[in-house]
Amino acid sequence: MSVVLQGTGVTKIFGGLTAMAEVDFTLEEGGIYGLIGPNGAGKSTLFNLITGYYPLTSGDIAFGGRSLGTMATYRRNQIGIARAFQISKPFPALTVLENVTVGAMFGGHGRGSASDIARHAIRTAGLEDVAHRHAQELTVGTLRKLEIARAIATGPKLLLADEPCAGLNPSETVEMVACLRSVREQGTTIWLVEHDMRAVTQVCERIFVIDAGRKVAEGTPDEVVNDPHVISAYLGEPAESILA
Amino acid sequence: MTATPRKLFLAFIVVLLAIGAVLPGYVSPYHTRVVMGFFMFAGLASAWNILGGFSGYWSFGHAAFFGMGAFGAAKISTALGAAAGSPAAMILPVAGATLIVAVFAALIAYPILRLRGIFFAIAMLGVSQVVTELVNNVSWIGGGVGVFMPSPVPAGTRPEVFYYYIFGALLLLIILVTYAIRRSKIGYGLLAIREDEDTAKMLGVPTEHYKIASFVLSGVLVGILGAVYGYSLGYMSTGSVLRLDIGLNMIVFCIIGGIGTIWGPVLGTAIMLFITQVLLSGFLDIHLMITGGIVVLMILLMPSGVLGFFNAKRWIRFRERAR
Repeated sequence: MSVVLQGTGVTKIFGGLTAMAEVDFTLEEGGIYGLIGPNGAGKSTLFNLITGYYPLTSGDIAFGGRSLGTMATYRRNQIGIARAFQISKPFPALTVLENVTVGAMFGGHGRGSASDIARHAIRTAGLEDVAHRHAQELTVGTLRKLEIARAIATGPKLLLADEPCAGLNPSETVEMVACLRSVREQGTTIWLVEHDMRAVTQVCERIFVIDAGRKVAEGTPDEVVNDPHVISAYLGEPAESILA
Repeated sequence: MTATPRKLFLAFIVVLLAIGAVLPGYVSPYHTRVVMGFFMFAGLASAWNILGGFSGYWSFGHAAFFGMGAFGAAKISTALGAAAGSPAAMILPVAGATLIVAVFAALIAYPILRLRGIFFAIAMLGVSQVVTELVNNVSWIGGGVGVFMPSPVPAGTRPEVFYYYIFGALLLLIILVTYAIRRSKIGYGLLAIREDEDTAKMLGVPTEHYKIASFVLSGVLVGILGAVYGYSLGYMSTGSVLRLDIGLNMIVFCIIGGIGTIWGPVLGTAIMLFITQVLLSGFLDIHLMITGGIVVLMILLMPSGVLGFFNAKRWIRFRERAR
């Protein structure tokens, strides 16, 4: 297994606020990883650092063994880092197919023509029925799928998915989990931010927990949910221990 | 679009081209001038649309490029001392003016395109004001007293017919460029920038390069039209070409026809010029008032323009009923 993404001492300071302090992480190829933590812990900040939306204050992030340094966001996408946003950001006046085609055209990783790649991504995300609808007409659940479809159309080696299940009903969550699994089967490593603990423990092989910009735990789902730091920072005390 | 409407549309274009090619022989010089003006303004609106319509950066200062094209060509033709009566004498001055506009646009592109939305619009308005003041007050440029341009119209040709064909050819060129962009990878990238610039970056669109390219291209096309317009005037001062209304007309025509579409700017120009110059030509005392009223009405009724109106609502409903 080769390492896809490696962060060493990743630190981000906004003015006087330390948003991310000395965080280390290693993601191996082909896995599904989780990233959890309370609101404001720095999950989205970490994704913004990996995609180059913010520059690092110190530390280093390497992708496929190559330090990303100050590489522009669009270049990072072209070498294989894709992101699905937490708040869906569709191109509202374009159709679903056009939205996804933009990803397919510029990602520059897939084989075949942009429209073939786009169609394949649309099938993977289960969007065939709405391919010709404008993005502004879609429901929240469908927009989440569009985020994923557009990101995978760029042919990423790594997909950063920021809360893909937020706002979805239980059956949509099941579909999304299936979709993420099939993305992984096509060879893409996934790093998932998610609040739905059931979804996280179901799909992730390894979970990182951050709180107030620091990594507080890392391990398999079982290890993480039983870790005392994680329980106090994020999950809360089990009911019986409060009662006791 | 299925095969038959596409063929019909192509046939329609061919017929329009054929009519356009022979029209000056059949109509009055006034109407030839009206159609010539249509070619020029449709070209301006289409050029503006490459930046404003596709990438969503609304420039309120494109008149600056128009004026630079005109005065650039005037300075170069004076320096070359070109003889009158030879169309070939236009080539160097127009090419030189194009280069001047391109360099200027490329220089201001990076800083000014860091501004988004209304801030970019206002900054471009500022650029056009600065250019206007410079042209007016720097005596070497000579916008204050005015400059003469030797007429390139060959002997025996009516000037309005000569410029009719030049502007017609330029409009055709600009439409083809617009069409090529819209269908290309760059077109998709620009639309993505218009819709959401941050997401576009995240999907691998080199947003900075694309914005700069569309800004320079849009400015250059406007500059070429300005250079030819300068020739058609023969004598011009600052106020002849660096006019706020030229910069605003480009935007209004795009909005009326359908911003961000290939044919919207052309259609919008045709509608507005037909109303103002043909229908209202007999009511000169109130025609501006009526024009203003029409613009307000159309924007209230069809905020996405004539083409946008038919594409978005009627057309989709029609297609769904037909299914």
